[in-house]
Amino acid sequence: MVAEQLIEDIRSSRPGVEVKEVPYEQRGYWFDLSTGPEDIEEVARLFDRHGYYIEDVCCVDFKEYLQLVYHFNHWDDPRRISVRVNLSAEDPVAPSISNVYEGAGWHEREIHEFFGVHFENHPNLSYLFLHEGIDFYPLRKEKVPVPEEKKRLLSSLPVSESDDVFFVNMGPQHPSTHGVLRLILKMNGEYIERAEPVLGYLHRMQEKMAENRTYLKYLPNASRLDYVGAMSYNLCYVRAMERLCGIEVPPRAEYVRVIAVELNRIASHLLWLGTYLLDLGAFTPFLYAFDDREQILDLLEGITGSRLTYCYCRFGGLYNDVDEDFVEGVKAFLKRMWKRFKIYNDLVTGNVIFIHRTRDIGVIPKEVARRYGVTGPNLRASGVSYDLRKAEPYGAYRELGVEVAVGEKGDALDRYLVRLQEMENSLRVIERAIKELPDGPYRTEVKKLKPPEGDVYFAVEGPRGEVGIYIVSDGSTTPYRLKWRSPSFSNLTCFPEISKGVLIADAVSILGSLDLVIPEMDR
Amino acid sequence: MRALRKAFGDDVVKIGFGLVGAGFVALLVLLLLGLLGMKVWKLFAPYGREAIRALVGLVGVLGFVLFNALLLVWAERKVAGHMQRRIGPKEVGPYGLLQSIADSLKLLGKEILTPRFVDRPLYYLAPIIVFIPVLVAFVVIPFDARLQVRDINVGIVLILAFSSLNVIAILLAGWSSVNKYSLIGGIRSVSQNIAYEIPLLLSLLPVILLAGSLSMKEIVEAQSKAWFVFYQPIAFIIYFICAVAETNRTPFDLPEAESELVAGFHTEYSGMRFAMFFLAEFTNVFIVSAIATTFFLGGYKGPVLPGIIWFFIKSYVLVFIIMWFRWTFPRVRFDQLLNFSWKFLIPLALANLIVTGWCLKL
Amino acid sequence: MIEKPKEVIKGAWSLILGMAVTIKAFFSPVVTCQYPRETLRISPRFRGHIKLVEDEETGRPKCIACGVCARSCPSESIKEVEGEKREGEKRKSVTKFILDFTTCSQCGICVEICPTGAITFSADYNLAGFSREDFYFDLVEEFYRWKEKRVESR
Repeated sequence: MVAEQLIEDIRSSRPGVEVKEVPYEQRGYWFDLSTGPEDIEEVARLFDRHGYYIEDVCCVDFKEYLQLVYHFNHWDDPRRISVRVNLSAEDPVAPSISNVYEGAGWHEREIHEFFGVHFENHPNLSYLFLHEGIDFYPLRKEKVPVPEEKKRLLSSLPVSESDDVFFVNMGPQHPSTHGVLRLILKMNGEYIERAEPVLGYLHRMQEKMAENRTYLKYLPNASRLDYVGAMSYNLCYVRAMERLCGIEVPPRAEYVRVIAVELNRIASHLLWLGTYLLDLGAFTPFLYAFDDREQILDLLEGITGSRLTYCYCRFGGLYNDVDEDFVEGVKAFLKRMWKRFKIYNDLVTGNVIFIHRTRDIGVIPKEVARRYGVTGPNLRASGVSYDLRKAEPYGAYRELGVEVAVGEKGDALDRYLVRLQEMENSLRVIERAIKELPDGPYRTEVKKLKPPEGDVYFAVEGPRGEVGIYIVSDGSTTPYRLKWRSPSFSNLTCFPEISKGVLIADAVSILGSLDLVIPEMDR
Repeated sequence: MRALRKAFGDDVVKIGFGLVGAGFVALLVLLLLGLLGMKVWKLFAPYGREAIRALVGLVGVLGFVLFNALLLVWAERKVAGHMQRRIGPKEVGPYGLLQSIADSLKLLGKEILTPRFVDRPLYYLAPIIVFIPVLVAFVVIPFDARLQVRDINVGIVLILAFSSLNVIAILLAGWSSVNKYSLIGGIRSVSQNIAYEIPLLLSLLPVILLAGSLSMKEIVEAQSKAWFVFYQPIAFIIYFICAVAETNRTPFDLPEAESELVAGFHTEYSGMRFAMFFLAEFTNVFIVSAIATTFFLGGYKGPVLPGIIWFFIKSYVLVFIIMWFRWTFPRVRFDQLLNFSWKFLIPLALANLIVTGWCLKL
Repeated sequence: MIEKPKEVIKGAWSLILGMAVTIKAFFSPVVTCQYPRETLRISPRFRGHIKLVEDEETGRPKCIACGVCARSCPSESIKEVEGEKREGEKRKSVTKFILDFTTCSQCGICVEICPTGAITFSADYNLAGFSREDFYFDLVEEFYRWKEKRVESR
């Protein structure tokens, strides 16, 4: 298989790299490679040659040394591989792999400003989230000041001599960017020459907050990361801890979790549908989508008590049990929702104006998606059938199974169709789960959460893509390092590439079709 | 009074109110004199009854324009609400009927900002110019067989000629507000208007050929046997699409697209000046529906009810359809919009004209 | 767009289908609820602010002022929990329970972790105030006020 071939190649070309096999059930990844900073670029090239995609780049501050952790995964052989690089704490320097995997560029910028790691050969190592002029590295364990020469300004695009070139700010306050995202567009007449997103307007330092709170106290924070698809984040965090501590979850809880997550997925896609069409100028589908979304939110309020940010999944099961009202409500909702798709298909999908606005707009080729780490419906629209619920099944998906919607070309129309199809597939999963809902306890009692030392990675399929969490625990009651892998962040990295030479109206359409939610990007 | 002066310290409003006020005062004086017994109409004797008729007609038209704008603002919000499964305005007045008045009071009371570096004469002129074609068009629209302010024998040419002033007004508005977004919006609107005026003309020509005259009244009279929509369905559809594009309504409302260019050419206008653009747009909607009714749907002809009621029914049905379009369709991208006009509508309209001419010759 | 006639007809038909959807919605009943003249039913699990639960035997709150909830709140919203020991009882009885609702995130950790089950969620959503201090609830006062009036507080 691909992983074994890759490891053979690595062993033959760079014998200094240590390779260890790791139990997947406890750690979340299959192989653990340790290498020195001089070998990492060659290792990344080997990964690229074998068709791996970059999942996440993370840095952990063990006080004597810093450790960079790269996670790679493959569409056909979904066995995650971790690569670790140890750097010295006084002067951390590492070569950048953004020449191989462009998607790692932004991750490295983030590590640079939070930890002070300098990446050589990086095309643009400037501040991503924090403001320029900050004088210490926030995520380090001790307060390490920033040397003067490293305080750089945000990159400013050079002014060109041509008359027609000017800069347009799709500023932080704009009806179309879903949240506070700033795009600096270098325009040539009506066409975009270069688009540069500026992030950080919604940065709340969630990862540092995690280091100061116990595992239980961090639960409400997880949902606030992406408030539109909050159930997936809740589930991801809880399951990561259950994997780390080895807690068993009763089947009834697993089934209810699946139902709740799929309902949340439909709600998130409906919100996306409404706002995307609002960007394109159609005002009514927004309200129809919210009408459907209300039904879902009422259902979820009946069991969890919240409508938007849920704190429902707990370590070992659920917060409370579901009752008959919920089951009846879900069945009524299913019956109603199947009929509503006709409205969306009539009003939007076949509409000739809509098709002309979205066909062949913002095509993401498979290679681009792989090197930038694009996941979720964006990836599936480009023709890659990769869904974490099928590739790495977790929870009740092992018994229920899920149908995967795949597109063809990767343009905005395909992304729209894939998400509509995903809504229908979610309805089918919910039908099966409601029919086979087992009886039994809804929670295993967890008296004291005792996480062993070590690290764990867990990924779920959120509405926007792969939601991943990487927890490093040192045996105490607070996490040592917690890193979220947010899908919108990786999805947006490909935007400068796919928006070269498009009109502004098309840029709005592409941004909408990527389904970004800024809070999870900025964390 | 001071509050009124503070709110109305603006030229447009001064001129407008001044004229209307003077007109009303003059009418009151005449009424008074007439009641006192003086034979007031002898004043107008040299000009004949036509003059009185024109004056009364103009005042009536002005009143109708304002009333129509208020009605359409309320109707748009109600229609939008019901199409979106919600009620529109309902608090102000029964069924929200007084909502338009509340909106106009709000607009009147807004601070009228003039940005510092605008081109002053053009900036002040634009809202006034945008209202001129609207008022002129009402002069020749036949509300009933004898309810037309003035039946000019080249009626439709008058309307089309003055509607090009619309283009100038938008260009002035976009240019004089020194703002990247307004300029882009203004330029887009100009090219859109010009592109869609040609098929508009070309789709009205077959009807003129069929009726044999350019006067609006004669065109309505020529539809005594059957409405022209049955003879010229393609021309009706082309005319309707061009009408929606001329009035900058969705799906062709790119110049005012909120999600792309904030607000297009009227970004820098606030308060009463913005209200003028707004009013002009709604009245334009009514005018194009009125022209469509006159040309294709038989104008004021109908069996039982008086002509003017039929005219209003037909016009307002078309206005409802224009609103229906707005709340159903997404926006057309700009180059697709221009492509659609130049490469599709114009050849189709030309072909229709040629076929009509050929059929008439035979 | 120079298109063949069939595409034009298909495009026009799609537009008409879309218009049929909106006109059908135009004549359908509204789905909105005219708040505040009508109100919706709140589910019993709704997470409003927390309130103290009554102990049937004594008629007082069940809370024994142990302070576990205050220690486990992620946002430190429970400010002061004080109690006094009454005659002939083994545990304390609460006299003051200050909740700062402005920072509460309705996670339910306090409800879960209370050893006597003395906290539960209320269904109070009509909260409005003029200053931050309006949301510093003293839950013991609220408890007795509710007992007197038999209505939900505020």
